[in-house]
Order: sequence, then C-alpha cells, then structure tokens
Amino acid sequence: MNRFSLLLVVSLVSTAAQAGTAPKYPVAAIPSALRENAHAVVRLHDETFTVKSAGQAVSTLRYAITILDADGDDHAVDQVDYDRFKSISYLRGSVYDAEGKLLRTLRAADVRDVSTTSDISLAEDSRARIANLQQGRYPYTVEFEEEYTTSNTLFYPVWHPVSSTHLGVEQSQFRVKMPKSLPALRYREKNLPTGSQVRQSAEGNYTVYEWSVAGLPAFEPESYSLPAWELLPAVYTAPATFEVQNHAGNLSSWEGFGTWEYTLNEGRGELPASQLARMQELAQRVPDVRERVRQVYEYLQTNTRYISIQLGLGGWQTIPAAEVAAKGYGDCKALSNYGMALLKAAGVPAYCALAGADRPDIQTDFPSNQFNHVILCVPLPAARPDTVWLECTSQTSPFNYLSGFTAGRHVLLLTPAGGKLVRTPVYKATDNTQFRRAELRLDDQGNATASVRTRSAALQQDDLSQVYHQLTPEDQKKQAYRQISLPSFTISRYTLKPGATVPVPVMVEHLELSLPRYATVTGKRVFVVPNVLNQSAAPTPQLGERQTDVWQSFAYLDADTVQLKTPAGFRPENLPAPVQLSTAFGTYSMQLQALSDGSIQYIRRLQMNRGRFPKADYPAYLEFRRRINKADKTPLVFLKNDV
Amino acid sequence: MILRVLSFITLALGLGCATAPSAQAQAEPIKFGKLDLKEFDAKNFAADTAAEAVVMADFGRTHFEYVQNQFKVVFERVTRIKILKKAGYDMATVSVPLYRKNGNEERLSNLRGFTYNLVNGQLVKEKLESSGIFTEQRDANYSVRKFTLPNVKEGSIIEYAYNVSSDFWFNFQDWQFQYSVPVRWSEYRASIPEYFDYRMAMQGYEPLAASEQNEGNTQFTVRQEGGAMENITARTKTYRWVMKDVPGFRQEPFITTTRDYVSRIDFELRGTQFPQQPYEEATGNWNKINSELLAAENFGTQLNRTGFLKAEVAAIMAKHTEPLARAAAVQQLVQTNVQYNDLDRMYSAGVRKAYEQHTGNSADINLLLIGLLRNVGLTANPAILSTRDHGRLDESSPMMSRFNYVLAAVTLPGQAEALLLDATQKHADFGMLPERVLNTRAHLVTEKSLEDHWLTVASRQRYVHFQTAQLQLDDRGGWKGKIHDEHAGYNALSARASLQKLGEKKYIETNYLKQKDGWAVPKYTVQQADLLAKPLAVDMEVEAPGDEDPNGTLYFSPMRNFGEDENPFKLVNRQFPVDFGAGREETLMLTFQLPTGYEVEELPKSAAISLPDNGGRFQYVVAPTAGGLQVVSRISFTKAAYSAEEYASLREFYSLIVAKHAERIVLKKKP
Repeated sequence: MNRFSLLLVVSLVSTAAQAGTAPKYPVAAIPSALRENAHAVVRLHDETFTVKSAGQAVSTLRYAITILDADGDDHAVDQVDYDRFKSISYLRGSVYDAEGKLLRTLRAADVRDVSTTSDISLAEDSRARIANLQQGRYPYTVEFEEEYTTSNTLFYPVWHPVSSTHLGVEQSQFRVKMPKSLPALRYREKNLPTGSQVRQSAEGNYTVYEWSVAGLPAFEPESYSLPAWELLPAVYTAPATFEVQNHAGNLSSWEGFGTWEYTLNEGRGELPASQLARMQELAQRVPDVRERVRQVYEYLQTNTRYISIQLGLGGWQTIPAAEVAAKGYGDCKALSNYGMALLKAAGVPAYCALAGADRPDIQTDFPSNQFNHVILCVPLPAARPDTVWLECTSQTSPFNYLSGFTAGRHVLLLTPAGGKLVRTPVYKATDNTQFRRAELRLDDQGNATASVRTRSAALQQDDLSQVYHQLTPEDQKKQAYRQISLPSFTISRYTLKPGATVPVPVMVEHLELSLPRYATVTGKRVFVVPNVLNQSAAPTPQLGERQTDVWQSFAYLDADTVQLKTPAGFRPENLPAPVQLSTAFGTYSMQLQALSDGSIQYIRRLQMNRGRFPKADYPAYLEFRRRINKADKTPLVFLKNDV
Repeated sequence: MILRVLSFITLALGLGCATAPSAQAQAEPIKFGKLDLKEFDAKNFAADTAAEAVVMADFGRTHFEYVQNQFKVVFERVTRIKILKKAGYDMATVSVPLYRKNGNEERLSNLRGFTYNLVNGQLVKEKLESSGIFTEQRDANYSVRKFTLPNVKEGSIIEYAYNVSSDFWFNFQDWQFQYSVPVRWSEYRASIPEYFDYRMAMQGYEPLAASEQNEGNTQFTVRQEGGAMENITARTKTYRWVMKDVPGFRQEPFITTTRDYVSRIDFELRGTQFPQQPYEEATGNWNKINSELLAAENFGTQLNRTGFLKAEVAAIMAKHTEPLARAAAVQQLVQTNVQYNDLDRMYSAGVRKAYEQHTGNSADINLLLIGLLRNVGLTANPAILSTRDHGRLDESSPMMSRFNYVLAAVTLPGQAEALLLDATQKHADFGMLPERVLNTRAHLVTEKSLEDHWLTVASRQRYVHFQTAQLQLDDRGGWKGKIHDEHAGYNALSARASLQKLGEKKYIETNYLKQKDGWAVPKYTVQQADLLAKPLAVDMEVEAPGDEDPNGTLYFSPMRNFGEDENPFKLVNRQFPVDFGAGREETLMLTFQLPTGYEVEELPKSAAISLPDNGGRFQYVVAPTAGGLQVVSRISFTKAAYSAEEYASLREFYSLIVAKHAERIVLKKKP
C-alpha cells in the first residue's frame, strides 16, 4: 500500500513538472515581417564578452534560432572553435517544436570534437566542438548556451546580429564588460540601425558597453552588389592593451600593433654562413639595387616553398630564418622573414608587411588584427624612389607583382619604429588589359576557322598564370575548352606563355580554332557574329525594387580586333551601325569596317570602372550592360550570290 | 572480427614476429636510400616534360605478423618521386590516415624520408626530421599522420618509407597503381597465410605488367600456455602485381566517380580458418552477406522495429485497400516525417530514433520504409547497392564494403519484378529513385534466396523539360506573349529543390531573367509545386525587347533563349563512357504571330537526326500557321550511358542541335 502511494506521488510530481514547463519560443510569436524571405529567425542572441584582465577574457553566449525550412538547417548546428589559447567551459543545447515544447536536450553523444585544420595547412592546433540539433520537421527552434575562456586577447569579438542572408532577427544583444582598471574598450559600429548605438553603464568594477537590435527583416542578396557583410550591421571591438602568451601589446594605434609584431619576430633573421657569404658576394657583384633585389627574390623562389604550420604563438611568430634555410620551406611569415634576412645580407633593407589577403580592404581607422598574410616591402634608395613588393609564398609570382591576392589595399609595415599603414599598388583598368586579335575565316557552308592571339595583363592574367604554372600543356588546353563558350568548337592548337613583364606581368595565349557551322545559313543569307570570343553575358535584372547600391569591384580594359574573311560570292547585306556608349560605369565601342582586301574588320573596346554607384543608377547600369550584350551578339548578314 | 580468433589464441600465446615468408624471393624494385645517380639525368625525363612529377617507384608489401596474442596486418611502403616542376611540390607532403576503434588501432612506424638534390654535381641528401612530421586527430576514430620533406626543388628526388601495422584484418591495404602524375613502376605484394581468405578486385583501364602467385611457408612463433615456445608453420600465398609506365590519370566530365576509372586493387576479408577451427566466413558469399545483414542490429533488426507506428499503419490500412496506394502512402509517411541528412549509408543508427528526431541517413529512412511496407501487408525487402559517388560494383565479388546504400524492393501482387523505392527525397514522386543511386544494379537481401538476385536500378524516370509559348512579334524584332514551362522527372526534382531554396521570386529571376536577352516577366504563377506526381509548371507573361527602331527586314532567331546554345561535349577525345544516370527529353513548341504587314521571306530547313542504335533523336520542324509560324524541337537521349566509342557521334549530334537552334528566320515588310 505504501509503495503504491509513493509511486502515485512520484508520477503526480512528474506530470505536474511537465505541465508546468512553459512553452519556449513558440513560432506563432514571430512577427510575420521577420519570416519573409527567411529560412530561419533569430529569436534571441545574448552575448557577453567579459574581459578579466589584459590577458584573459570569457565569452558567454545564449541564443535561440527558429528553423523555418530545410534551407535553414545550417543554423541548427553550433560550432565552437578552440585552440591552445581558448578553452570551452560548456556547450549546452535544446530543441523545441513549433509550439515551444521541449523535444530534447543536447547529449554528449551529439557533440563532435573535430580538427579544423584548413586544407592549405600542414599543421594547426585549431579544433572545434560541433553540436547538431537538426530536425526534419519544420519549423523548430534550437537553443544553445556556450562559454569559453581565452588567453589570446588580440582578438575581441565582432558582433554580426544578422549573421547570414535569409535570416530574420527578433532580438540580439551584445555586451562587452571591461574592468575599470583597463583602458576603455575600442569599438567600431557599422550599418547599425538608428537608436541601436552603444549604451555605457557601470557595473561594479566594470564598464559595460552594450548594443542591441530588434526586428530586423531577412536580408536577400542582390546581384552587382557589395558583399553582404559590407551592408549588414556589425560592431567590431578591440582592446587597447592585450597579451598573447605573456607578450603584451598595445592595439590602440597601428604603430603599437606593428611594434608588437616587430618585437615578437625580432632577432630571427640569422642566416647560415654559406648563405650569408652568397648574399654578400651578390651585393658586391650587382651594384644596381633593384636588380639585386630581383636576384635575391629569384634565389628565394628557387629554394623554398610554402608550407603552412600554425601552432600556438607560431600563428604570429615566425620560425627563425636559419630553419627556413635548412628545410627550404615555411609559411608566409617565415618566408617573408627569410627574404628579409637574405636582402639584409645583400645590403638591402626590407620590411615585412601584414596584409589581409584575398579579402576587401581593411578598416584603416580601426587598428586591430584584420590580417591573415605577410608580404615583403622593399623601399628602394632615394636616388630612384620606388618600392618593390614581394610575395614570398609563391614560387612563380613575377618579381614586384602582387596579384589580386594582396594588391590595392592597406597593409601594415613592420618597422623598428612601429607599424605604419601603407597601400600596395593599385592595378587600374589600363593595367588589367586583355588585347585580342583574331582572324576568322569562313567557308561557303558556314564553317569557320579562327586564329586568335590574346595578351592578358596584370589582374587579367592571374588565372592564366596559375594555369600555366600548375597544369600540364594537355590540361591547359582542357582548361581552355572549359573557359571558351561557343556553340561548337575544336581547339586544334593551343599555347600559353608568359610575355615580358613591363611594368605588369603578361600572359600570351595562341589559339587555333575550328568552328563547324559557326555561321547560320537560312536560304541565301548567312549570319556571322564577328565577336567570336568576347561576348559579354546578358545582365540579370531583378524582380522587385532595388535595395542596395551597385558595386563593380574589378576595373579592366578589353580590346578586340577581328578580321573576317569570307569566301568569294559573299556580299554583306548590311553592316551594323557602330555603337558608342559612355557612362560612369564604363565605356564601350564597337564598329565594323569593310577593308580594301574584301575582308571585314570588327573592333570592340570595353573599359569597366571600379566603383560604387547609388541604387538609383541601377536601371541605367542594367541598360548599359544589356546594350553591350546586344551589340556583342549582333550578326553580320551576308547574301550568297550562288543561290 | 578480432574476437573470432580468440579460440586459436587460447591455445597459444604469441611472442615476437615471424620469419620472412620464403616465397618473397623476387628482387625488390626499390631499396630505400639506394639512389642511382642517373635518376638525375634530364634525358631520362625527356618524355615527361609535361608532367609536374614522376613517381619513379611505388612499392608496397603487406604481410601478417603474430604479436601479443594476435595477428596484425603489416603494410610496408617505399616511394620515390622525381619532382620536375614547382607544381609538383605538393607530392612532397604526404598524409597517411589511421583508424582506431575499441582499443584496436592502426599504428604508423618506421617513417623515414630523404630529399636528394644534385648540387654542383654532388649528391646532397637531406633527412626528414621529426619537426617535419605532424599528427592531426580528426575525430575520435580517425587521425592523419602528415609529413613534408625538406628542401624540395625542381629536379629533387624525394623518397619516403613507412609501415602501418593494423589490428583490423578487414582493413587490408588496398593499392592504387595510378595517380595524377605518371608512374614508372608500381608494385604491390601481398603475403597471406592460409588462415586468411581475401577476395581481391582489380580494376582500371591500364594493363598489368606482371601478375604472379607463389606458395610457400611462413613460421609464426607462439608461446604455449605453459610458456614453451612453438613454431607454427602456415602455408602462405604470395602475390605480386606490377604496373609499368602508367600515365597520369585525367578526369572527364559525365563520369560516376574517379574511383571507378583509376587502376587499383581492393581487398576484402572473405573469411578466416585457424588450425582445428571451422572456416569462419567474414562476408564470403551472397548468402552469407544476406544472413549477416539480416541478423545485424543496425540492418535487419531495424526492419522489425517499426511497431511504434502502429497507429499510422492502421490508418493507412483503413484508408487504402489497393497495394500500390498503400505503398505510396507509406513512402509519403516516411518522406514527410524523416529529413534525409545527406549521408548515404547502408547501416542504420535506429529507425525509431530517426523517426522521432525527424532526421536520419539513407539507411534509417529506407529500412524504416521497408519495415512499414511489411506492416501494411506488402512483400518488401532491402536491396543494397553502391551509389555513383561510391563507385561501380563488381557483381561477381561479394564484397560487403563495396556497398553503401539500401533501397526498398517491394513486390506488388501479380508483379514479377520488384519495384524499387526510396524515401530520402522530399520532392520525389512515388517510385522515383535519387540520381545518386542510378548505378547499374542492386542486390536483393532476402532470407531464403539461395542464389544472388539482382535488380536493375535503371530509373523509370528521365530528365524531362517541356516548354510551349505563344508569342507576338513586333516590327523591331522583339516579342511578347505567354510561356508555359514544365519540368518533370529528375528535372522536377532539382527544380522543386531550387524553388524551395530560392523562393518563387528568386526562382523566376534565376531561371527566366538570368542569361536571357533582356526578358521582362511582368506576371508569373508557379503551379503544382506540391503535386509530386505532376510536373512543376510555371506560366508567365514575358516580353523580350527588340531593336531601338523598326526594321523592314527582321532576322529573327526563334530558339534564342529557349534552346540549346552550347555543346556540352567540348573535348574531342574520350576515354571513359559518358554516364548521365538517366535518359533525357527536351521539347519546345513555340508559336509566333508575325507583326502586321510582315511576311516570311526565308525559313530554316526542318531536320531529323538520330543517334546510332536508337540512342537518341532530334527533330526540328518549322511550319507556317495562320498569320504566323510554329517552331518545334524535340530532343531525346534514350540511354542513361553511352560508351566511349559512341562519344564522337554524341558530340556531333549535339553540335547539329546547337547549330539548328541558332538558325534564323527572315521576315520582310510587305511592299
């Protein structure tokens, strides 16, 4: 009897407990405006970064996201990174159904511990814990709570309340707690909605900086637009003073950050005697400094290769030059440091420069670690003031050429006097050229053959240069097959070779093409599009109103000349009128001319400018591209006499 | 599988390793550290100027050792590579994956490496130091040992050697003869004592230069229970396979997976037989595979774990009486309740768990499907296969590891052949198999089958695209009108997935505004998005702009933006078959009304072309109608795959289609 009543009580309690759990994050509570175009909606995001000291901080985060459909599933996976400096205190999670009823909580078995070493690296100590709470029935809501402690205070968090496209945000807040004993927090607000600027308050020994946003609709990317993260709200934070493995630094100025990096890497430039002697001999033999730098670079490229090893402090501190000399490999820091050591031995001072490679320019007015790469800067003596830039991780990059990887952006020069922000060379439209000359020969059946020579320079040759250095001739030809967009064609001959690098590098491509049925024949008429290889794509207009500015990231100049030779008895029915377009986005011209030898010459020139244009210009931009596309596709019409 | 040998081990406790098998008398093709200076002579590489590196010799050996009470599979490898270009530097960094589970592991040992450079005529030899060796723990079971050799330059020769000792007999190292760079000599030897029975599968497009088999004895030293030593002699088969001058492997478009085409040999443990023990089959034959799978907790047992859906099953039984309708209802139940997590697996982590968490791998989903099909009174069995990404199967070799997927095979009353079903795809109609499984045949797993039974996985579905349009031309060469666009079969599958991902607006932008010559779509409706048995249809009003000014003569390209404008078969030569997975059908019916006052001056010629052996057909018809004309194009590819020999005709066929679709109509203003 007793036993029975006990059981009864237990079961009553558990029922009560269940009934008492209030539903969490019911989907019905989401405002409909936030669901529009959204695959998921952030219900709440509550992040606190508490700085304990100059060298330690704790990050606490709780967030909940409702997944509306399968394309939002990625948001149900939480990845918490860690490494030698960062340890995870906890990672908890729960998942709720549409009504807000708890479905289950995260178990240890649901969390994977994986290496996050990137593909380009041989060794890193970066790892992550990944928790997956994906459900197959929509909508559902996941909630995660996590905390980590970091002893690498070089990095403070960046808050991106709208962390991806197609994501609505109900509420998101971000807090940084700075001890009063430390200098004030440094922060940078970007694209914040009005009214969500920082609020400061005091809390015991801390100054609290707080931001919050609410009710942000999903962001949909548009074509010809800036990358989403340039347009979305963000708060960047950074310390004034920081510490990594007992190496303290000051980040409140570029000078200070440069000093830290410089000091950390100082005294690692000693070379083995044989190499020292070799460089000294070079200094004697080659008096011209520029030429000497070129020869040192060639030596570096011949004797080293890029191998990325990022372990602990090694993410910021180079291995000694002597080790690179012994092994013949290193990462960007190590190879640049080694190059600097070689140049020094050859009597040429040089500086390492931190760069943000393969990403847009850094925020110059917010000193912080926005870099992922190191290059070498060699200021030439005052007699011929000039600067040589060297990419030390490439064995094939031309001397003094920074590809699209690091060109045209700010880098931090590391000098004994501290960091100095300078700009790498900008390659303009008139540098990034593609000049093409083709002869197109037509037979009376409409079949054609073509001989084409293309000279590509600067940023327009980056890909071709890769193809040339990385692929076998057979694969280079296959790559050409992939690149060329023509109805039907066969490449009968293909060569690709570097041209002279003055002042920017050049690749020269020769093509022999056979183009079966290139011309279409209808009755007595033959239609031939003279622009064989450089037809621009038709623009993609969007449905609905334009939301963002127009962005063209790449400035270039293309010039094409095609000489069309037709068989006897072909007479042009018309010659399309010349086209001349001149806009802020760029200029375009196309003209056709009958030459005295009976052939017809087609000349096309297109220069596109880099720039950001107001969204009101969007229709004009589309029209510009549409007219180019139309002109590019305009055929020449011939009448065949024999029909 | 380690456990199975315990009976043997109880009689003898192991100590130390075996003597070398006598059969391996054949000279080794490469000795680590013994370099021939002529490997630096440029004229030996005259034929390889195109290659970034050449594998001079790749030599692997696997044999068994008896250590600490158990047999280990020991793999030894020596590789020498000549680096010819900077692009070949990647060859100097090597990753060796190692597996570990339940206290058993694969262990790498005796890793050595050298880089040789010729400096001023002198051979300079540099050692791989421990600072160049790293371990990456990928996850709990899987780690990667990585190393990179020092001072690699153009012209360097690199050499490395290592051993992997494994507790996993089923992980007998496979051997790949072919890589992206040419291989001068690739040799693999395997010494397999009589206790182990492996099935070997050789594949690829390159010939063997040698294939030998010898028999001899191997001695294993074991310690008896009392502590006494005893030598046990085992008959041992020694194999040797050699490939010479293997060309670098090159990818081609429209293939299943590289794995299917590269030259390699794979091993699978078929069984073991220890002294005074019966033969223990590991996988062995189809019956064994069937019964093992059906008894497995993560396979057959799951088929009986569907009782928790009793109510749902009863509802289906009550609602539908026809077997076909019941099957369809069951598939829909699974399809809508369990989201496929993009993992193709043959084993389930539990069908109930998958259902309750609404997410699961392909086995969770399809084993659940089979169980439920049985619950509604149908005959359903698992059919296992290898997906396209996983590679082709050799049906004559029962190798469990060659399978990675399971489908449901349901036999409807009165039907001779089973119908294959899959419930992993939300947007798939009943009976439609995912493209990724369209890989020849599936093996039926049944209790009573005495022979191996195979089912064709050819899909009844094709890629189907059907468009009609009624358009009014204007005097500037532009037009406006209505377009009806339908995607069926596999096209509907991808179109529905894309529609869900993009939403209607972006879907219209992507499909009807992108890459079109200034089309405007003022009105559109998407239809039958959720009616999986029907095509996904879009009805639109579309306007295409013409020239700025009216023209007396219009050269009008009717198929432009509708038809095919590029031959997908770009390359001239083909080594491997073209594998589309399924057939294809594209139909276009466009009707144009001429602008007032205009008449046709010239029309393109109609045409009909066929591929050899009824492999495909193209019909193109231009015909006048009242006040206008109609243009019809029908393309069909009847086969799912075409042999390399058929490639040239396939390429020419497409070239003719593209040319026809580019042709123009000439319209003239009436005088």
